[in-house]
Amino acid sequence: MENVNPGSLQMALAPTPHAGLENQRHRTLWQDGIRRFSRNRLAVFGLSIVIFFLLLAIFADVIAPYSYKEANFSKAKLFPLQDSAHPLGTDVVGRDYLSRLIYGARTSLSVGIIIQLIALTVGVPLGGMAGYLGGKLDFVLMRVVEVLTAFPGLLFAILIVSLWGGGFWKVIFALSITGWIGYARLVRGQVLSLREKEYVEAARSLGATPRSILFKHLIPNLLTPLLVAISFGIPGAMFGEAGLSFLGIGINDPLPSWGQMVGASGAFAKVYWHLALFPTLAIALAMLGFSFVGDGLRDALDPKLIE
Amino acid sequence: MARYILGRLFSLLFVLFAVSVINFSLMHAVPGGPFDEDKQPLPPAAKANIMRKYGLDKPLWQQYVNYMKNAVQFDFGIPYQQPTTTVTALIARTWQITAQVGIMTILFAFGVGITLGIVAAYYQNSWIDNFVTFFAMLGLTMPSFVIASLFIVIIAGQMDLLPMRGWGDSACLLNNAAWRNGFFCTDWILPVLAYALGPMSVIARYTRASVVDVIRSDYVRTARAKGLNERSVMLRHVFRNALIPMVTVLGPIIPDLMTGSIFIESVFSIPGLGKYFVTSTFNRDYPMIMAIALLISTLWGITYLLTDIAYTLIDPRIRLGAEGGK
Repeated sequence: MENVNPGSLQMALAPTPHAGLENQRHRTLWQDGIRRFSRNRLAVFGLSIVIFFLLLAIFADVIAPYSYKEANFSKAKLFPLQDSAHPLGTDVVGRDYLSRLIYGARTSLSVGIIIQLIALTVGVPLGGMAGYLGGKLDFVLMRVVEVLTAFPGLLFAILIVSLWGGGFWKVIFALSITGWIGYARLVRGQVLSLREKEYVEAARSLGATPRSILFKHLIPNLLTPLLVAISFGIPGAMFGEAGLSFLGIGINDPLPSWGQMVGASGAFAKVYWHLALFPTLAIALAMLGFSFVGDGLRDALDPKLIE
Repeated sequence: MARYILGRLFSLLFVLFAVSVINFSLMHAVPGGPFDEDKQPLPPAAKANIMRKYGLDKPLWQQYVNYMKNAVQFDFGIPYQQPTTTVTALIARTWQITAQVGIMTILFAFGVGITLGIVAAYYQNSWIDNFVTFFAMLGLTMPSFVIASLFIVIIAGQMDLLPMRGWGDSACLLNNAAWRNGFFCTDWILPVLAYALGPMSVIARYTRASVVDVIRSDYVRTARAKGLNERSVMLRHVFRNALIPMVTVLGPIIPDLMTGSIFIESVFSIPGLGKYFVTSTFNRDYPMIMAIALLISTLWGITYLLTDIAYTLIDPRIRLGAEGGK
């Protein structure tokens, strides 16, 4: 990891580094980033929201008082606090709303993360090859990108989901089709500009192999923008899932999803306000948390910002 | 310049071709068709007749060629869901409603967003600035249907101030007689507010960043030094120059708003283009889906081109085609 630090070259060249100075100066980009990030109150607040939802998602079986599909018709449509056994009330068929919200976090986050993983494994190599090799591959990739961006990604996903039907994996598939474009573009642009940088040229003229240039100079410089892109990509995918489920063509009913819960509550919004309010707040809070983290990461990892 | 525009138009044609081929093959790749008789079985001869009438018995490539031949003349066929009209007429009718929402949203989002951005930049780091920044953050992160649901629950449901959904009386926006009778419709207020909040935040943020950038430059100091009043400094020197970077970012917001939001239209039951797109995909209404897809891609392509051209008109230093590295 030390290779990331532009200062480490100076350290290596300095004949006898002063011990005290070294301690002060020798901080890697990541240590710098963590320091800046933890000083940013909004970013830390966002991170705690994200961790909270992550814990809910991972330990949903332990935390949730009921199962997400256990319906009790005698207790349908309870308001919050009306029954001490159901603090956030129950839905139309008498399922505990708190439990469904907790399992909803699992659905939402897993869709968001899986889509990003797929998008990364497709987009990063494609963009990298297109940027590094150029030529025909680059031309073809850019035309594909051009076509896919001419048509809003969510409309495309709606088309696919309504043709092939909804469900967990189909939602992921539909949103992944356009999800990789951002990464491919980002990596291609970065590689194109990095390739021409002086330090890469210097490394090449010093006799570095293409392999070591790729791993020591290109990839570390790609990691920070990618990390920022991922932190915005996850809520983006969660938004897509929530949207599809909201329209009733995403996640199918027994499995809870916040978007689907908002959509299903539409007909009852006048009286049973809690059905719309809680999942709406959950979506809003999750989106806010992720974008605070994303903004914080961008500010923390941008080496152009001077402390 | 002319060569550059021609090149861009050519690439737009390519994009439209690709979008149409992808759509066409997608819709034919899935099982199930518009005339599946799961409810009322048809005699085979009658079904063959219907298939022949709509040209669905021909090979796929021929269906595509036939379709495109007509599409060039704005004949997109007959929507399967409403066989008594044409696709063009149906789109025109639904788009009129979407465009009403869109225009009001554009006016509101740009008016309020630009004002907030300028005020925030002028009083940089004051409480107004912090408020606008925080507000824009909220608007940026919240999906439109989340904002819409909150509005419906709180403003329409609990406070009972505005209608929850529907677009019944909103024809009055285009109807002068309704205005003269003193009839004021309120259907549009919540959808426009909920729809505008997101783009408004984007606009406010970019305006603020752009104005902050310009406000510190030397020519602004010169303008102040020669005794211009604040108003003309802000409007003639700061805002005009701040507009340049804003055009490319804010231009694409316009076609986005003009084609409407599926979510806003579903939440508020507005019978516009977005809602028809969803019902068309449910009903496998091929002609309708194709026409909407082509319409949206064309609009986006033209807007990107127009924003690039507007960029050169505002800032004569920028020359199109030169940035390609040729």
